[in-house]
Amino acid sequence: MSLAIRQVSKSFGQHHVLNSLDLELKPGELLCLLGRNGAGKTTLLRILTGLLRPEAGSVWLENQQIDYAEPHARHDIGLVMHQPFLYEHLTGIENLRFYARLYQVADDKTALEAASARVGMQRFAHKPVRAYSRGMKQRLTIARALLHSPRILLLDEPYTGLDLQGSQTFNQLMLEQKQQGRIILMTTHDLSHALPISSRFAFLARGRVSDELTNQNLSLENIETWLAQKLAKPVSAQKGAAA
Amino acid sequence: MLFANKNLKLLSFLALLLILAAFAMVLFYAPIELNMGIVQKVFYFHVSAAWIGMLAFLVAAVCGIVYLNKKQLKFDHIAFSAVEIGLLFTAIANFTGMIWAKPIWNTWWTWDPRLTTMTIMAFTYIGYLLLRRGVDNPEKRARFGSVYAIIGFASVPLTFFSSRLLRTIHPTIFGADTGDMAMIPAMYQTMGVSIIAFTFLFAALLWHRSILAARESELDTLRAQTEALEFGEVLDD
Amino acid sequence: MKDWLHSVRALVWKDLLQEWRSKDMLTAMFAFAILTLFIFNYAIELSPVNRAEIASGIIWVVIVFAGTLGLNRSFTSEQDQGCFDALVMAVPDVSAIYFGKMLTNWLVMLFVSLLILPIYSLLYNQSLFNAGFILVLVLGAWCYSAAGTLIAGMTVQTRMRDLLLPILLFPILMPVNMAVVKAAGGILAGAPLVNVQAWLVLLAAYGIIVTTVSILVFEYVIRE
Repeated sequence: MSLAIRQVSKSFGQHHVLNSLDLELKPGELLCLLGRNGAGKTTLLRILTGLLRPEAGSVWLENQQIDYAEPHARHDIGLVMHQPFLYEHLTGIENLRFYARLYQVADDKTALEAASARVGMQRFAHKPVRAYSRGMKQRLTIARALLHSPRILLLDEPYTGLDLQGSQTFNQLMLEQKQQGRIILMTTHDLSHALPISSRFAFLARGRVSDELTNQNLSLENIETWLAQKLAKPVSAQKGAAA
Repeated sequence: MLFANKNLKLLSFLALLLILAAFAMVLFYAPIELNMGIVQKVFYFHVSAAWIGMLAFLVAAVCGIVYLNKKQLKFDHIAFSAVEIGLLFTAIANFTGMIWAKPIWNTWWTWDPRLTTMTIMAFTYIGYLLLRRGVDNPEKRARFGSVYAIIGFASVPLTFFSSRLLRTIHPTIFGADTGDMAMIPAMYQTMGVSIIAFTFLFAALLWHRSILAARESELDTLRAQTEALEFGEVLDD
Repeated sequence: MKDWLHSVRALVWKDLLQEWRSKDMLTAMFAFAILTLFIFNYAIELSPVNRAEIASGIIWVVIVFAGTLGLNRSFTSEQDQGCFDALVMAVPDVSAIYFGKMLTNWLVMLFVSLLILPIYSLLYNQSLFNAGFILVLVLGAWCYSAAGTLIAGMTVQTRMRDLLLPILLFPILMPVNMAVVKAAGGILAGAPLVNVQAWLVLLAAYGIIVTTVSILVFEYVIRE
């Protein structure tokens, strides 16, 4: 019942971003993806959405290769990217209603107000999105991503713009999602927030997962030291090691 | 390096010979038409150029379809080259048409269906080139170019039918519905040789230009890499 | 198919609501249409004699110009907020996005025409409310949106955006322009529909061909 990424490669021109990357995620697991800027974290997420086609490799869910041409396969995925995917002139509720209709889930007022209350947006739900702050947009976009109860959540920097309270609400939601057996893949630079919810950390370098760390009562200091070691390794040295 | 390979060299010389032959036939073999006089001779190259204009657009549209299916940039290079050459030949067809029209129809320009269609087609070609200039990413540029070449080509027959519905005074030579230009065998032969010569010329030019387009694309990649290195953008690998 | 129609309906609802909320586009299109009408009034002496013949041409040019403003805007909210990605993930097929946008653009154009026709009738004391004339406008606006939506989907993603749309769109639209102006002109001059039948068939053929081709290729406009 897991999500498996097998031998995925992607390059832009001559620049190899992902190089035979392998990664496996179990249900109820939240994997936190770390790495330098340009290490290919977002590229990997986009490949998992099916929006970007890899040159080689495949993505499997429950021992079946995902066929992104199938609408159901795409509906299994909830997505939070750098851009919030919201319409500025519509209110929060209207934005949610639009996506609820596209996904054909309950689009009545009660359901949508409940969805916005989950991210603490009940007070602003009927205000147009153009009046929102970055953090409010981020909250709403998280509600949007969870709206159709997807089995896989792909989150690119979900803490962007969120205040302390927002981050805590988000963490609470993610813990619920983990309990429901969702598979969650997240990128972030905010280790202190990510630590309590992450099951595992993976470090991306040279186009593949170069190291992993399972979160068994790790302290923030543990993970920060681990990451600092990874980042301190000069690229050329890694190159030599890989060769 | 003028010729990338032997076949291209052969094709280029063949095209040259055929063009010279066509020239000779137009000047010395084809008779002078009774009603129109010497100026009628421009029409051998006029029709041939117009034919290449159409053929080029067809090639671009077909390469567009192939590109969208295969996603190999070489088909985009061929499509782009075909459009550039097609634009040149469309211009030749228009100008030779004007040279002919001035003494015969007593005007440089008429709203004749073929002339109108040819000119609108030229604008579609120009649009195609502008569209490509507006996109930096080569993959996206190829996709958009392909889509536009396909829809542009689909609209050409419709443009022709509608301008024909409006009016026509253009002489119809093939599949004549009115017999306003009678051709004798020597004229047909000259016409045939001209069209074949232009087709070979087109093939040779297309080949040369596609090679150049592929080189340009390589150069772009190299340049992008150098820039990325200079700005230190490639942090990993 | 049911899912597909469902998504198209959701997309049209969203776009119309968005437009209703801001009214930016409709206001601009309407103001532009009226101003163009005024320019024509001074540029071409609209005497009662020639008025009947050239009314169809003027109305169509006004609608086409205003329509270009609308088309330029039709994809900006998707492009600026990156919503294409979210839409591709949600719809059963990418063609639903094209179809929804095409319907919206068509409706917006018809709405602007609906405002322009009575104003023209009022200004020049010439009633344009003729079933045949309206049929031609409806068909013409369909052809226009069918080609325009495809082209606008591309130009919004280019550097030159608004500048490029008319340059790419107008050559492709030439048959529509000829057909609409001739058919509508004929009808306003009192000819029965049978006389302009060929033009109506041409418009229908154009609409069908361009809509079909667009549905087939639209995927490549918004997906890598």
